[in-house]
Amino acid sequence: MARSAKAVPWFLFAAGGTVTAFVLPVMLFVTNIAPPVGLFTDAMSWSSMHDFVGNWLVKLVLLGIIGFGLWHAAHRLRVCAHDFGIRADTPVAAVVYALAALGTLLTIWALLMI
Amino acid sequence: MDARKPYVRKVSKTSWFMTHARYKTYMLHEVSSIFVALYMVLLIWGLFALADGPQAWGNWMSFIESPLVILLSLIAFGFFVIHTMSWFKAVPQAMRIQKGEHFIPGNLIIGGHYAVLGGFSLFVLILAGVA
Amino acid sequence: MSKRTIQLEVLRYRPEQDKEPVFQTYTVPCEEEWVVLDALNYVKDEIDRTLSFRWSCHMFVCGSCGYKIDGEPKLGCKAFLRDYGDHIRVEPLDNFPIERDLVVVLDDFMEKLQSVKPYLIPKEEKPVSAGEYLQTPAQLKAFKQYSMCINCMLCYSVCPQYALAPEFIGPAALALAHRYNMDSRDVGRKAREDMVAAHEGVWECSFVGACSQVCPKDVDPAGAIQQAKFTSAIDYVTSLVGIGGK
Repeated sequence: MARSAKAVPWFLFAAGGTVTAFVLPVMLFVTNIAPPVGLFTDAMSWSSMHDFVGNWLVKLVLLGIIGFGLWHAAHRLRVCAHDFGIRADTPVAAVVYALAALGTLLTIWALLMI
Repeated sequence: MDARKPYVRKVSKTSWFMTHARYKTYMLHEVSSIFVALYMVLLIWGLFALADGPQAWGNWMSFIESPLVILLSLIAFGFFVIHTMSWFKAVPQAMRIQKGEHFIPGNLIIGGHYAVLGGFSLFVLILAGVA
Repeated sequence: MSKRTIQLEVLRYRPEQDKEPVFQTYTVPCEEEWVVLDALNYVKDEIDRTLSFRWSCHMFVCGSCGYKIDGEPKLGCKAFLRDYGDHIRVEPLDNFPIERDLVVVLDDFMEKLQSVKPYLIPKEEKPVSAGEYLQTPAQLKAFKQYSMCINCMLCYSVCPQYALAPEFIGPAALALAHRYNMDSRDVGRKAREDMVAAHEGVWECSFVGACSQVCPKDVDPAGAIQQAKFTSAIDYVTSLVGIGGK
């Protein structure tokens, strides 16, 4: 039987799962839950955020978080589709990984513009 | 032995997970990936808004502060916590660390993960607070 | 010893007379310390000789008496009546065709077990006169847990990926492959990769983890598979780049 190429996206899934497990709760809190209740308004202002993300190290970290997050979600969504009964694995895989690749490229583009 | 007539029981491809609590738990943390994907899209939009300027950024913030998005964010937060907890729980199974004739206890590995989570989260909150 | 009366509801299937499986309830006077297997044997001895089920050691080391008891896969000899109510439902293990009553067709499982080359593949064949292999306690510990499998198939009966994709090699077989891959006397990982690293091998697994939850010997096949995924993935990537492997 042929060796499965699932190994490659699985590595990204595993890395992404680890990154998102540590980072996402507090990150979502800062970006989505704090602002509506008036917390961290200075940090979330355009000028402050623009300065912060302007730093190359921050860009690298954000690329890591968003990049790995995208590939983690993509692989998991592929498995999810399978578990929910959508058994056409190859087209589903093609779609989710293409979207993850697109998202990664867009992230790089946006970060370069800041 | 022509009397053999094995009976095959059917399994539903779409509702198999409703048959037991352990499957529902599994599907719950699998489904967290939908919210991870949505959040990544939101962040990418945010980066473009940041690059565009204060007005675009303002639009992005308004979207975040709209009632529907606040509700979705709270749900997403719940799912991110579910993801973190299920992920940490799985680490000792996926990665056994052998020291001599013993393995490092799973609870120690999981506890270490929570410690790092706590430390990192505190760091980010302090950073956000003093910016 | 005090007695209990248990209503044992068993899924019957007699291919010569039943179109479909059907439940039959027996009233069984039980001793307090009995296990479900004892109740089944009482039925067969005293009430209904036609009831068919596999069993052997009665001490959870042979793996013969796997059934679904009150919806949960268990060994009949390890399911103590004191942990159940007065009505107990017993069915054959899921995900296997029913042969008769509680007896399932396990040919698929047997094939898969053999397909992973479950034997030592040493670096070179040594004659017996060359002496024994040496192994430290630490080296033994590395794979010992995965050698404890008694082939009871509870893990297969509870694995949704095996239920939906019967070509999946499955928890026990993959844990067994891992047992040999982790053995310091063995160099057969590459030889086993054809099965282990295939779509039907570790990559069909999505880490539901149900297998490890029901394993009566704490083998943790889910853990074995995830560890095998790591090694397989590294092997795959290094082979792409052209670096040799074991």
